[in-house]
Amino acid sequence: MKIIKFLPIIFLYFSLFSSFSNEKNSQLENKIFKNLRCIICQGQSIYDSQSDFAESMKLVVKQKLDSGMSEEEIYIFFKDQYGEWISYDPEFNAKTYFLWGLPVLIFLLGGAIILRKLAVLKN
Amino acid sequence: MIFNYIGNYSLIISVIISLTIFFLSISNLQKINIKKKINLNKLNFFQFFFVLVSFFSLVVLFVLSEFSNITVFNNSHTTKPLFYKISGTWGNHEGSLLLWLLILTLSLFIYFLSSKSRPIKERLLTLIFQEVIIIGFLIFIIKTSNPFNQIFPIPKEGLGLNPILQDPILAIHPPVLYLGYVSTSIIFSSSLASLVQGNVNNLWAKHIKKWIFASWIFLTIGILLGSIWAYYELGWGGFWFWDPVENISLMPWLSLTALLHCILVLEKRSLLSSWTIILSISTFTLSVCGTFLVRSGILNSVHTFANDPERGLFILIFLFILVFLSLVIYFLFEKNLKTNNNKFNLLTKESSILINNWFIMYFLSVILIGTIYPIFLEVLSDQKISVGPPFFNKLLIPFLIPFLIFMSIGPNLNWIKNKIFENKIQLIIFFILNLILSFFIIKIFGRITLTFTILLAASFYLFYITFKDLIKKDYKNISQAISHFGFSLLILSILMNSILSKEIIANLKVGEEIKFMESTIKFKKVENSSRSNFKSLVGFFEINNKDDKKFLFKPEIRIYNQPQVITSEADIKTNFFKDKFFVINLVKGENYFNIRYQEKPLMIWIWLSTILIAIGGSVSFFKRYEK
Repeated sequence: MKIIKFLPIIFLYFSLFSSFSNEKNSQLENKIFKNLRCIICQGQSIYDSQSDFAESMKLVVKQKLDSGMSEEEIYIFFKDQYGEWISYDPEFNAKTYFLWGLPVLIFLLGGAIILRKLAVLKN
Repeated sequence: MIFNYIGNYSLIISVIISLTIFFLSISNLQKINIKKKINLNKLNFFQFFFVLVSFFSLVVLFVLSEFSNITVFNNSHTTKPLFYKISGTWGNHEGSLLLWLLILTLSLFIYFLSSKSRPIKERLLTLIFQEVIIIGFLIFIIKTSNPFNQIFPIPKEGLGLNPILQDPILAIHPPVLYLGYVSTSIIFSSSLASLVQGNVNNLWAKHIKKWIFASWIFLTIGILLGSIWAYYELGWGGFWFWDPVENISLMPWLSLTALLHCILVLEKRSLLSSWTIILSISTFTLSVCGTFLVRSGILNSVHTFANDPERGLFILIFLFILVFLSLVIYFLFEKNLKTNNNKFNLLTKESSILINNWFIMYFLSVILIGTIYPIFLEVLSDQKISVGPPFFNKLLIPFLIPFLIFMSIGPNLNWIKNKIFENKIQLIIFFILNLILSFFIIKIFGRITLTFTILLAASFYLFYITFKDLIKKDYKNISQAISHFGFSLLILSILMNSILSKEIIANLKVGEEIKFMESTIKFKKVENSSRSNFKSLVGFFEINNKDDKKFLFKPEIRIYNQPQVITSEADIKTNFFKDKFFVINLVKGENYFNIRYQEKPLMIWIWLSTILIAIGGSVSFFKRYEK
């Protein structure tokens, strides 16, 4: 048991070794790249793609960030240009109620069934 | 070429044998004749044998580069190494379906040999259901995707295999995955048969458990291989993209994992029989559904390398018939299920398995809906949306937290009745400690979000608990301890990996250098070389650490000739703490290269922990039953 308690410390120790950078901007860039679809590729984000189109989109993202646009504004900019398809993060609106809601509904339904089962079997 | 004919006629002979087995089984079912049983064994073997002959004919055609065969012409080339000529057999639509069929007949043959302890009627019924599937696939292959079609005049050279498929891991990935996918058909057929016979009880559970474990192990390894391949070949350091084709392989796995837990309740307590049947049906349906979605070409994915609407339609109809028939059977014979009114307390193993199934079904529904919803939306309203990683993260992560906590508690509960936790307080304190630890880890690395902190705490918690179970002396259930420990290690490695990964992307010319954290990356030179099927450009990069240690990286760009495709081969240096991943890319019309360097902590543990999960399953598979 003692060894187990020391594990987090060992973990922390190694974690600290891989020192970290403060390149917040490039982290944000990559995050945005990962959330935008390369529309001429087969199901890749512009982060994963090396096509000319993806490369030029990356440049646009960088320019927009430098000009002071926020992450959200950049998504909106691209959605206006290319349609909603370009974003990997679907909006929550009338067409996607089911997409977002159905899994949660199924979860609640499953919970209800289990509760009923437990109650029925107890009586 | 003679092998074209041999392959083709063997397929037709298999159809005849399959039909014979089908009708013989039906007539045997009415008047059980023990002697006929041996007869069926032989027929099963010949059915498998002729598909095998057909498969081998195709392999021979590929090895000899016989371009009179359209499949070979479309997917092979004389300059390809022998190994990839052979693996090219299943690297295409026609061949992979033939492989699917081969495994289907093989698993039926094995089933019939190994199920002698079961009532003969149940075995015959299983045979009948299985033959329906086999005949369906045989007709599908012969009608829409015959691998032995010929072309005239005979071309001198083939079109070649997609280079990203020319890879040792990808050569064995489809067969392993298919072994998993296809053996779920036995679970499907056998569960329907035992439902009709009213045999869904603990004995049947004990029998079918072997099949469940076997397919689960193959599926786990198959998915792992695909993921490793994506990591070094496709991905720029990623290993899971929530790509539709990946999701499709994960869905049967989730359903099978739920079934694997559920069957234990049926075996030990004779409970949850109808739920077991539903899971058996859904697992196989999801497997066929995966084939449909991949083959039909309606998915927008990097993996879809062959597609044709006519084929999609056929599988869709086939799938519809399968689901419809199994539902009809289910509702007709549901009354055969004996409902067991044993006590079902809240704090017991059975209810914790129920909770496990509940969460797994939720994860499954998220992935299912996320994958097919865009297709429906496009068909119905002509609007295109993309569902990617942000969606899955948002819906999965919050539910992963309670799942992990339940997982650390559940396995330590007893069947039927449980005493209240002996050391409740200790557990809670333990959890709070983890919470604090996780908070600091995340604070140091600069991404404080509440969900992430709690998620990390929950996975640390599960990690300790499963580790404690693993090193406990009394091995009550060693296979479970290994698998659960593997799972906790997997979640922990994925989390740490995503929090601690560092990367740099830049454009560099030869001779230039760039700073990355506290080291410098220097681009030394480029070397050209040429092989039979590709030209290669190797970049030499030197990374100088702050303590003056030097590492040389040699990422490669390959320009394949047949077909003309450019791929990037990453140079990866792996150790137990982290992977260093270096990849370069050509930029059209420029004299610099696009480079990407990543440091990915605990990467190898993602693979190792998945192997642990599979080992746990294997231990259970090979375990002898206590009398």
